[in-house]
Amino acid sequence: MSENTIISFENVSKSYSDGTQVLKDVSFELERGKFYTLLGPSGCGKTTILRLIAGFMEPTEGDIFFNGKKINKVPANERQVNTVFQDYALFPHLNVFENVAFGLRIQKVAEAEIKQRVEEALKFVNLAGYGVREIPEMSGGQRQRVAIARAIVNDPEIILLDEPLSALDLKLRTEMQYELRELQQRLGKTFIFVTHDQEEALAMSDEIFVLNEGNIQQSGTPVDIYDEPINRFVADFIGESNIISGIMVRDFVVSMNGQEFECVDQGLNPNEKVDVVVRPEDLELTSVEKGKLVVTVDSQLFRGVHYELSTYDEAGNEWLVHSLKQADVGAKIGLDFDPEAIHIMRLNETEEDFDKRLESYGAESDEK
Amino acid sequence: MERISKGAKFYLAFVMIILYAPIFFLIFYSFNSGDSMVNFESFTLDHYKAVFEDDRLLIILINTIIVALLSALFSTIIGTLGAIGIASMRNRKLRNTMLSMNNVLIVSPDVIIGASFLILFTMVGIKLGFTSVLLGHIAFSIPIVVIMVLPKLQEMNNSLIDAARDLGASKRDILTRVIIPYIKPGIFAGFFMALTYSLDDFAVTFFVTGNGFSTLSVEIYSMARAGVSLTVNAISGLVFFVTIILVLGYHFISIRKTKVGVRK
Repeated sequence: MSENTIISFENVSKSYSDGTQVLKDVSFELERGKFYTLLGPSGCGKTTILRLIAGFMEPTEGDIFFNGKKINKVPANERQVNTVFQDYALFPHLNVFENVAFGLRIQKVAEAEIKQRVEEALKFVNLAGYGVREIPEMSGGQRQRVAIARAIVNDPEIILLDEPLSALDLKLRTEMQYELRELQQRLGKTFIFVTHDQEEALAMSDEIFVLNEGNIQQSGTPVDIYDEPINRFVADFIGESNIISGIMVRDFVVSMNGQEFECVDQGLNPNEKVDVVVRPEDLELTSVEKGKLVVTVDSQLFRGVHYELSTYDEAGNEWLVHSLKQADVGAKIGLDFDPEAIHIMRLNETEEDFDKRLESYGAESDEK
Repeated sequence: MERISKGAKFYLAFVMIILYAPIFFLIFYSFNSGDSMVNFESFTLDHYKAVFEDDRLLIILINTIIVALLSALFSTIIGTLGAIGIASMRNRKLRNTMLSMNNVLIVSPDVIIGASFLILFTMVGIKLGFTSVLLGHIAFSIPIVVIMVLPKLQEMNNSLIDAARDLGASKRDILTRVIIPYIKPGIFAGFFMALTYSLDDFAVTFFVTGNGFSTLSVEIYSMARAGVSLTVNAISGLVFFVTIILVLGYHFISIRKTKVGVRK
């Protein structure tokens, strides 16, 4: 455990009294001052992890460490952690100032200091002068900020955010993504953000943990996870992707539907069964003759920035294409892509082996 | 909203007249200078004067108010804590059982409650009088307070409690700073319900009261039995008048509240 580790989970499991297991033997370490995102579909255990860190739950098995100290049984009100709740959980009987001051009043901080710190926190979230407002007078975005101010005013070491943007409309959500990221960098605190929205995760995080069914599937920087998903679930969950089963013929050559393609992956067993991922934006429209793949356009949607084409190859695999150019529905077209666009996923590979394999590519290309 | 038809208006007026006629009849004759409700002789305030000159009656009035205020206060405290207890029960079966037992007490006839209290108090050896009446009133008011407070508690979002804990609040802080302020309207409603139930209770008081202690409803009952006296009409008139003032007061308070709410 390094000096910089603030939270670590060691083989943590959580089951409910009815026997359902929501977390299965999860271990990870979080470093101080980073923006982490727990990403996954509902029921994957991401909120459970958050509640374990906050202290609303105790792990059934395993240990949780905070700054190197075991905190399994430390109650929520004694932890240096504050949460921004999904429904904000602002106290309706208190005005904005008193909501933010709540934690300080409990700690019996002197009145003058409360006033100063609350006003500072409100300024931090661009709500200076809103102290006397009542909660029902505030809009959704403003309530969100009050909830954040209420969390940061106590100067916690970690701020937990439980899907705080899900109730906002798209425009406000994007705006808040920028603000949250900026806030985290200004405060320099550890943020742990829970979401099921992959765009939010990619936009804000230093590191993403992708969870499914109580397991961490993959962790890494947004770019790593997007470009090098470990398995079908991650590839499918993060962004849109075309996932085709294939066979790794030999190093640098993969075959899909009997057709061989050049790729950059190596070190797999010859003729090993694999999943092949190609992102829709890496596919380029071209003529039938020039295309590495020939597909028929099934439907086309205009998405604003690009056209989204749903196409099928002769074997019946669907290929999603993001293209700036329009195509004719029903027409045969060619698809072109670089060898780098192909990402190979071994079936049932652990995260450890996966990381090793990726590192070996880097080492060899360095030698060259 | 659709305007109500003439027929419906007529029906409503008819019902209201039927409901209010006996009360107005009673009050009308309280101004009668004769001593029966058979014929109205001339206007007088003598009966009201008699009420205010009757020290015994005034003491009974004060007794009634003291019992009502005290029983409402204690039952509100006990009932609110009980409601918090019921609401926080995890076991659904147990919670529903508690709730049903609470409701049974509300709907069961006062006569039975009164009689059972009488048996209890004589067995335990509590002297019948002020204490027994107060205890009886507290007991039958508690379920009413519970039923008034519980909806507010159920409406409260659990994440508020999580948020308070998250911000460092101990159990005591959560109760005094979050739960009680949140359910305050329910507590007030429960208090006033308990107050009115206690003020107009006859059956339970009748059973458990003893020598030398009486409340207004019991007293009116015995006066009415002793023979028709227009003093009873005068007391009833006064009680009705006070009730109207209370209702109007409540009305104006709630109007002011909604106006404040709208401004928000």
